[in-house]
Amino acid sequence: MSIAQVKRIAISDSPWPWLLPLIALLVVFTIYPFIYNVWLSFHEFVPKSRGLKFVGVDNWIQLWNDSRFWGALGVTFLYFAVALTIEIVLGMAIALLLDAELPGFGMLRAVLSMTLVIPPAIAGMMFLLMEDSQFGALSYLLGLVGLLDKATPMLATSSLALVGVLIAEVWQWTPFMVLIFLAGLRSLPAEPYEAAMIDGASSLQMFRRLTLPMMSRVIAVAVLLRGIDLFRVFDYVFVMTSGGPGTATYTVSLYAWQQTFSFLKWGYGATLSLTSLIIVMVMANMFIRVAKVRW
Amino acid sequence: MHRSAFVRTLRTIAGWLVVGAFFFPIYFWTSVAFRDAKDIFNWPPIFFGFQPTVRNFEQVFGISLGFGFGSQETVTPGGGNFYMGPRLWDSIVVATFSTVLAIVVATLASYALSRMHFRGRHEFVNWVLSTRMMPPVAVAIPMFFIFKQFNLLDTYTGVILVHGLMNLPLAVLLLKSFFDDIPAEIDESALLDGASRWTIFRRIVLPMAKGGIAATAVLCFIFSWTEFLFVLTLTQTGLKTVPVVSSTFVTSIGTAWGNMAALGAAAIVPAFVVILLVQRHLVRGLTMGSLKQ
Repeated sequence: MSIAQVKRIAISDSPWPWLLPLIALLVVFTIYPFIYNVWLSFHEFVPKSRGLKFVGVDNWIQLWNDSRFWGALGVTFLYFAVALTIEIVLGMAIALLLDAELPGFGMLRAVLSMTLVIPPAIAGMMFLLMEDSQFGALSYLLGLVGLLDKATPMLATSSLALVGVLIAEVWQWTPFMVLIFLAGLRSLPAEPYEAAMIDGASSLQMFRRLTLPMMSRVIAVAVLLRGIDLFRVFDYVFVMTSGGPGTATYTVSLYAWQQTFSFLKWGYGATLSLTSLIIVMVMANMFIRVAKVRW
Repeated sequence: MHRSAFVRTLRTIAGWLVVGAFFFPIYFWTSVAFRDAKDIFNWPPIFFGFQPTVRNFEQVFGISLGFGFGSQETVTPGGGNFYMGPRLWDSIVVATFSTVLAIVVATLASYALSRMHFRGRHEFVNWVLSTRMMPPVAVAIPMFFIFKQFNLLDTYTGVILVHGLMNLPLAVLLLKSFFDDIPAEIDESALLDGASRWTIFRRIVLPMAKGGIAATAVLCFIFSWTEFLFVLTLTQTGLKTVPVVSSTFVTSIGTAWGNMAALGAAAIVPAFVVILLVQRHLVRGLTMGSLKQ
């Protein structure tokens, strides 16, 4: 076969037939809903005529003046920041602990990863049961160590409800961080550590000067993936508190969903969900740029 | 030397304690599934040593296990308030077919993305990835109205489509990373021998990537199995998956915790299976291939 023939193969080698089904589906799934959302955000459902009415930028003005939206945004950011911080720090600590070949540690790592494939809605129900003030095992244990008053129903107390939800969140997703960090730790080269050992570095110094810098890419990926999911939290709040008590655990996703399907404010729900999309996109892209995450 | 053995022992104990703490809710939940109401609502809570019963499972799955630790009444399928047989079936159908959809579309696309160089390839991968960033609620709300127009609400087709689409970014990126692991020289020499891309894909690349494809499929299955918001939004009575019905156990006269726990315990079974099947690939899947192991 001559070079010209090889070249011809390369030229006729178009990727588009291979990509066409994917592109078609992604257009249906991303671009069309996006446009529909934008369109819907300029309309409002009229129950009387059971139809949509064009309302201009009314929904966007309402959003700007809606204290419940700003409250939900605050709750979402709080949830995001607290959960991400705990999951990273705790995840790194547990990963460092389990990064050793000690009796049973292989099995321990497997057991830990089980939490990741349990449906979050069911995990939420598990913690709903365990955080009950009348018979909940977790409430009982927290009471034993003096962290919780027996008479206090955690999920029905506005100052504690978010903590109750965060317990489920952190329980389910810290193992995600542990697994990622373990994979990262396992791929680190041994030489720098040997050199540092000879120089008499302490293990804390080695962690700060070697492990953390070499793990920065792994940490960035973990932060990005978990961060995206944290910002759109829905399952736990829906099954555990429905946003309550009051508005203590209302997140943007839950608020948008309820406005649309409970209060039939279709246009306003679309406006809220679009806002949530924009915030996630902007934050994620900023992070990708700053942290130089590459795929 | 002594100090090192001491540290190792300490570390072993700490490891077991930490993982034990994470495993405790799973143990407790599973144990609730085997309890009578009186053992669920006891204060202080009972952790061990209750009288086990399979009643909750019998009611939820509409079967008579026959060896019930003293269970007397017979259970008729479809009889109990919380009979979940059809819901399990819905979950299985939806997860299976959406996985097939995602895998078929994604293997084709990721083969091209792995092997063919074209302008804008990098941007294309980024676009696929960015669809993962969309908050499900931002998709579910317009999807509800689009589905309404096309009569797809409450249908298997609709939910399968949405779950398949939801898993596409994961499947594409993951499969691309598996294909990247197979040397491109194999394809090139086959091309020189006159084989077409399609033949190479079917005869050489697919068989070599079998393990990776299987792992991707299992992960897609699990993500569909655990998904909540889309099913909640796009179905009413026609079908419901296990995570979505879990919240319906909360009723005005109290929560059927025993039945709920039995369903939950059954839903945890896929967790065991997935850990056995794809533990090696789990991190790769969860990070969509961005951390190759």
